[in-house]
Amino acid sequence: MATRSIAAYELKLAAPLAGFFVLFFIAPLLILFYVSMQSDTGTSLAQYARFLLDPFSLGVLGRTLWLGVEVTMLCLLLGFPLAWAYVRGPRWLQPVLILVVLLPLLTSVVVRTFACIVILGRQGIVNSALVSLGLIDTPLRLLYTEGGVIVALAQVQMPLMVLPLITALSRIDPNMDDASAALGAGAWRGFWRITVPLSLPGIIAGCMLTYAAAITAFITQSLVGGGQMLFMPMYIYQQATALQNWPFAAAISIVFLATVLAVVSVFNALGRLSRAHA
Amino acid sequence: MSTRRTLLTSALALGAMHLFPRLGAAQARLLVFATFTGSWEEAHKDVLVPAFRKATGADMVLDPMLSVDQIAKVKASLSNPPIDVMLHDPGPALVAIDQGLVEPYPVAESKHYADLITEAQVPTGPAPFFQVVGLTYNPDRVKTPPTSWADLWKPEYKGRVGITNLNSTLGTGFLVEIARMHGGSETNVDAGFQAIKDLKPNIAAVAANPGQLATLYQQGQVEIGPGNFNAIQILKARGVPVEFVSPKEGAIAFKTTIHIVKNSPNKELAFKLIEAALSPEVQAKLMGSPYLIVPTNSKVKMTGEVAKVLASSVEDLKKKFVFQDWTAINKQRASWIERFNREIA
Repeated sequence: MATRSIAAYELKLAAPLAGFFVLFFIAPLLILFYVSMQSDTGTSLAQYARFLLDPFSLGVLGRTLWLGVEVTMLCLLLGFPLAWAYVRGPRWLQPVLILVVLLPLLTSVVVRTFACIVILGRQGIVNSALVSLGLIDTPLRLLYTEGGVIVALAQVQMPLMVLPLITALSRIDPNMDDASAALGAGAWRGFWRITVPLSLPGIIAGCMLTYAAAITAFITQSLVGGGQMLFMPMYIYQQATALQNWPFAAAISIVFLATVLAVVSVFNALGRLSRAHA
Repeated sequence: MSTRRTLLTSALALGAMHLFPRLGAAQARLLVFATFTGSWEEAHKDVLVPAFRKATGADMVLDPMLSVDQIAKVKASLSNPPIDVMLHDPGPALVAIDQGLVEPYPVAESKHYADLITEAQVPTGPAPFFQVVGLTYNPDRVKTPPTSWADLWKPEYKGRVGITNLNSTLGTGFLVEIARMHGGSETNVDAGFQAIKDLKPNIAAVAANPGQLATLYQQGQVEIGPGNFNAIQILKARGVPVEFVSPKEGAIAFKTTIHIVKNSPNKELAFKLIEAALSPEVQAKLMGSPYLIVPTNSKVKMTGEVAKVLASSVEDLKKKFVFQDWTAINKQRASWIERFNREIA
């Protein structure tokens, strides 16, 4: 009797999920693609041409992708020390920190975004503090600016960065630090040569999740950005509902999806490289 | 083995029934009325829904959303629409009618249709109320009440003005009005775009929709701007310092129409809901505080705040207010929205 392949059995178990994906993901995607091919003159690529040859539309795409980069960088900058403190800090601190990290996930994005509006508004906490300290005379404009959107998105997406970082950092043997110190490396050199390379898989996973979530975050982008700043999710919504131009909206969605997939595969390639490196 | 399989099949079936409750029986659901969010939702929940329940004994669901979202939802499922009664501003109403999403109103069977003022008698769907757009401001921060649209461009309002983009009737109506002020019209809004560009230093926020614009007064983010008379009433009732004033050029008035959705499974109930919305009893109640919704039934006498701030009668309203030509506006609205994206955003 031939040995039964374990892999075959596992595939069968995944069948319900696969069916679910075909029904609720692949099928709608095909419909979306079909709609995007419609134009006044029948089936054609006109909608794609309209997007890809229009500097304004490409500008919206570019701004959205760049927004993702800025949010991801800020999350990494703020998230890495937090994850480090969790892994290397005193034991009593860990439950506190994990609560701090997870708490945002337990609150609705809408609520968290409104909190940002209250904090960043003209008479919000930041502005009233600065005014009463005498640092500024008139309130700064924080809401409805790109900076405001970046800060709000970084707050909302922070857990997606910190959790993979914690996993990666806690896998690093603390003896490595001692070994590098014993061999004469300073703290910074040890950090750059040992800790960062070993935590790269976590950094890449965290960046990928944060990036994908930040550029598609319709609620936060539109509530904190307002009606003046146009990013891809709002652009799609506007074309689909306000202008009732479904083919163009579908084409933008497909272009956006392809772009995000391209970025994700770059991250994946980096991830493979980093694993080979580690 | 067979029992396990049976178990699994029934579990899946049960799961599917739970996910799609309408799978088992494709029979009637409750009447769904897509009203507007904010003040209208509150007013309809408090007054119209109870009146409907009393008249029919049936229950119903309010599903508040923007006009454009109502159209998108109905269009996506035209043979089995998820909404029975739609509420539309003039622009979206024309779109919905054009795309064949509405049922003609059974005028002959209606008890109240003939009592409506002529402007509100629309056979594709009558108007249960008017909306009015004028200037709203925060009286704590703006000491001299504004008197004209032109006041928004005063340098003293630098960084204090709030507007919306053209996705809303408010934003589009405002653009047309300031275009007119500078010699333009419903068919030529170039001057309006130039004026909005000149307004940029004063703009504190371009809200995504009128509801959001109203809440910006509450947060102190904006202090003056074009505003919907009804959108601020809830805030005002809750003690937020915000006031409405008709500019001397005349506030913008537009009718809101109510429609039976094509292929609705609840046509009879939909008709009864609209009848309730047109009845003098409901309209009189909705005109009272805190809703202050402008009536269209000529049997309702204008009183209270509506009479004081807006107009003492329907004739007065027609005289004092500016009605825009939405058929003309709608022809170019899509290109204006694109242009706003490019030039203002």
